Amino acid sequence: MFLINCPYCGERDQSEFKAGGEAHIERPKQPTELSDDEWAEYLFMRKNIKGIQFERWNHAHGCRKWFNMIRDTSNDEIKLIYKMGEKPPKG
Amino acid sequence: MLNYTSPIKEVKKYSGLTVSEISPLMKLNLRGKSRDFLTTIGQNINIILPLEANTSASSENYTAIWLSPDEWMLVSNRTVNKENNDYEIEKLLFNKISKTNLGSVTDVTDQLVMINLSGEKIFDLLSTGSPFNFNDFRFKKGSSTQTLLAQIDVIIHHNQINSVNLFVRRSFSEHLMSWINDSASRL
Repeated sequence: MFLINCPYCGERDQSEFKAGGEAHIERPKQPTELSDDEWAEYLFMRKNIKGIQFERWNHAHGCRKWFNMIRDTSNDEIKLIYKMGEKPPKG
Repeated sequence: MLNYTSPIKEVKKYSGLTVSEISPLMKLNLRGKSRDFLTTIGQNINIILPLEANTSASSENYTAIWLSPDEWMLVSNRTVNKENNDYEIEKLLFNKISKTNLGSVTDVTDQLVMINLSGEKIFDLLSTGSPFNFNDFRFKKGSSTQTLLAQIDVIIHHNQINSVNLFVRRSFSEHLMSWINDSASRL
């Protein structure tokens, strides 16, 4: 069990949240011009690294808002939480 | 008002805790973001919708509970006529908010059941089944939260000292009541 600081509601228990996969995946501008492989790359392929990962999370049992999180997947340490639509910090 | 059976037939008493269902109450879900939305609501119900997270605001007739940055629940403070299925305030707000595309007004009267808990052991009961930290909540009148209680989604509103209102979806209300019954017997 760990605590997640929802940008809208404050610190809440992990069980109130749902993970929503990798963040900052951009939809291709011209989907019709992509090959099947490129489309599959966009649609299915996720990094799933051990270490610092950019993720989307949803406060499913609270305010039901989505936000972004930078999390270290090896030890569950939350580096940063920022709202949807905000750019991730560089470096 | 729909025809349904109540999850609690009578007022239940435990040591330091009393549990009862309060019905029928009017409950409206309000959603909107713009400044026009907030002022229109404010003018029509005489409540300034709370913008701070986990709080509520009350007037003589209504209480507005913060649910999310663009979502509030409006609850009537007194029970309404049982046979009556339309509420003046809903019609008024629907015409001023939904029809003008400022936001949305949804009647959730029959969706949610309100269970009132009173007594000095409320927070002992709630903390046996909820991951929420009630340390600040219990000393702040008017605080509210959406969280899990026995893994059921609930809205908790601290309306008075030693009194808490629980809002739970109707289909979960009987299950929640049996959990309260079980848990309160061991307080």
